[in-house]
Amino acid sequence: MRTIRYTQAINEALMEEMSRDDRIFIMGEGASVDPYGLHNGLYDKFGKNRVRDTGISEVAIVGASVGAALAGYRPIANLRFCDFIVPALNELLDNAAKWRYTHGGQQTVPLVIIANMGGYVGAGTEHSNAIETIIMHTPGLKLTVPSTPYDAKGLMKTAIRDNNPVVFFYHKRLIGTTGEVPEEEYTIPFGVADVKREGKDVTVVATAYMAQMALEVAAQLHEKGISVEVVDPRTLEPLDIETIVTSVKKTKRVVIVDEDTMRCGVAGEIGMQIMERAFDYLDAPIQRVAAANLPVPSYFMEPYVLPTPQKIADAIGSVLGIKEPLPVRPLERGLLRSVRVDKPES
Amino acid sequence: MKLNKEQKLKLYQNMVRVRKLDELMVKGLLSGKIVSFFHSQQGQEAVGVGACTFLRADDYIFTGHRGHGIGKALSKGVSPRKIIAEHYCKTTGLCSGISGFHICQPELGVVGHGAVLGGEFVLTAGTGIAAQMRGKGQVAICFQGDGTHCRGPFHEAMIMAAKWKLPFIDVIENNQYMINTPVSEIYPMENLADLALGYHVPGVTVDGQDVIAVHEAVQAAADRARAGEGPSIIECKTYRIRAHSEGSRALRINQPRPQEEIDTWRERDPIKLFAERLLKEGVLKKPDIERIDRNAIEEMDEAERLAAADPALDDPSLLQRVLFSE
Repeated sequence: MRTIRYTQAINEALMEEMSRDDRIFIMGEGASVDPYGLHNGLYDKFGKNRVRDTGISEVAIVGASVGAALAGYRPIANLRFCDFIVPALNELLDNAAKWRYTHGGQQTVPLVIIANMGGYVGAGTEHSNAIETIIMHTPGLKLTVPSTPYDAKGLMKTAIRDNNPVVFFYHKRLIGTTGEVPEEEYTIPFGVADVKREGKDVTVVATAYMAQMALEVAAQLHEKGISVEVVDPRTLEPLDIETIVTSVKKTKRVVIVDEDTMRCGVAGEIGMQIMERAFDYLDAPIQRVAAANLPVPSYFMEPYVLPTPQKIADAIGSVLGIKEPLPVRPLERGLLRSVRVDKPES
Repeated sequence: MKLNKEQKLKLYQNMVRVRKLDELMVKGLLSGKIVSFFHSQQGQEAVGVGACTFLRADDYIFTGHRGHGIGKALSKGVSPRKIIAEHYCKTTGLCSGISGFHICQPELGVVGHGAVLGGEFVLTAGTGIAAQMRGKGQVAICFQGDGTHCRGPFHEAMIMAAKWKLPFIDVIENNQYMINTPVSEIYPMENLADLALGYHVPGVTVDGQDVIAVHEAVQAAADRARAGEGPSIIECKTYRIRAHSEGSRALRINQPRPQEEIDTWRERDPIKLFAERLLKEGVLKKPDIERIDRNAIEEMDEAERLAAADPALDDPSLLQRVLFSE
């Protein structure tokens, strides 16, 4: 199978879906040229009516997308950084999420919000957030957070075909990654977790970059004789709690890794759901690895706030009752600019 | 569009219907039949009726919260029974009773209104994008009050609509008060239509008590929008007779409004002004006025009777069905 970049996978999904359905259009600040290559070729192929460059106006990008969706179109709003969704939360949390419900199901809001998420690139307090919790918390929104090129393409196509507002977060540190993606058409249904690595001693639940980090840790712990199962829910709403619980019943131990803030976070929510369904199977208290209850600081300070491979390994050691330390390779550092070289694919 | 006798009569009847429905809603709120809110639009009938009575069915409107959109909705053909039923949380309501006070009828272009006021500027711009892409000459109208034009979404929508020449009409329903704060305490300019200057779009201020003036201004803006010439701003100067929200007091800052001000505006009641004009033009005779009043009361009473007898919404399965679409 061919290997392509994570960003190219998203780009292919956009290209294929926009070719299939001419009600789909995309809006954003400088949407004609996405700096990470997500929109390569779209402007040339579909023109400025369907690839719309807006001003710096997140409220209008999201709000007008809701309006166009209510009027029968299928907009995609690219906000670039998930931090920039915050100015448009009224439009997202009230209008997009609730319009259908408020009006008795008479209208639908087929809308995709694309934004990158997360830290580990030294982008500071207002470009490093992972606001999954806000989205997952809000009834009426779906949330997908792919960790591989394969998942990114299949989930983006499903997001575009969904008749509801879907938030699609791609992770900054996954932009330069590659993976196998078939040439043939495929989609990935929402609410279906993927067991990225099978194991028997402990379950690690993680999405997006955290899933990749967990896989790296799992590979290193394997050398020490610890068998880690990595479950990637892929969509946080809907959440495939069944697959998570099945894994936990098998391993009896679970660590949940999430990049959003620990307090009231995704990890806490998933942990509580496991407790409600599989408490009797647990041989150790559930452990969370999430961002400290602090904003994300500058580059060299990030590891004190964000999850790291060592924090994941330590949590695994803790649920397994292993007293001695489990040293793993430190975080591989990256920069956003080093992966901004996505040339247009022909 | 020059209005003929029947069309003028229609405007008059619609204003009376809206007033009678509004009065019924006020009673409904005060008697406890309506458990949520009512934000009376009494005194502002000419705006919704003048703007919407002769729109196309496929033109989009976001009604705004004032009067819960009844002035615009009745003029676009929405049934009063369904409006009342929604306020009574009945299954026959416009939103199946789940909202308690919102309205929406997509096939009549009535998209609804948000409850965080001023959010609809950008939504309307978005329906304008859809209308423009569809190319069938539809327009999208946003009705908002004086107060919400302070909000940022107004600016973002106007920049987008003006540059892309969206078929977008912003009707400023300037009823002189933001809850109890007079417009003059908030805005540096006298005419809010001046907001249009910064966006290089036409901005006009019309007498919002004159249903014909509102009608003509909106039709001119709609013609312009349908021809691809872009958005317009129309400020309708009107007056809210009752409180912002039923059950509270209508104040000026923290004092009762001056009686002189109330009397002046009551003299300029839009229904009274239009009746006088139609009597003078010979379109109406005195008995017609009484008959139109009586018909409207009967229509609304009958609508209320039916809505009250409709089944209340009590169906937990609906909650999941309306959250997400298949």
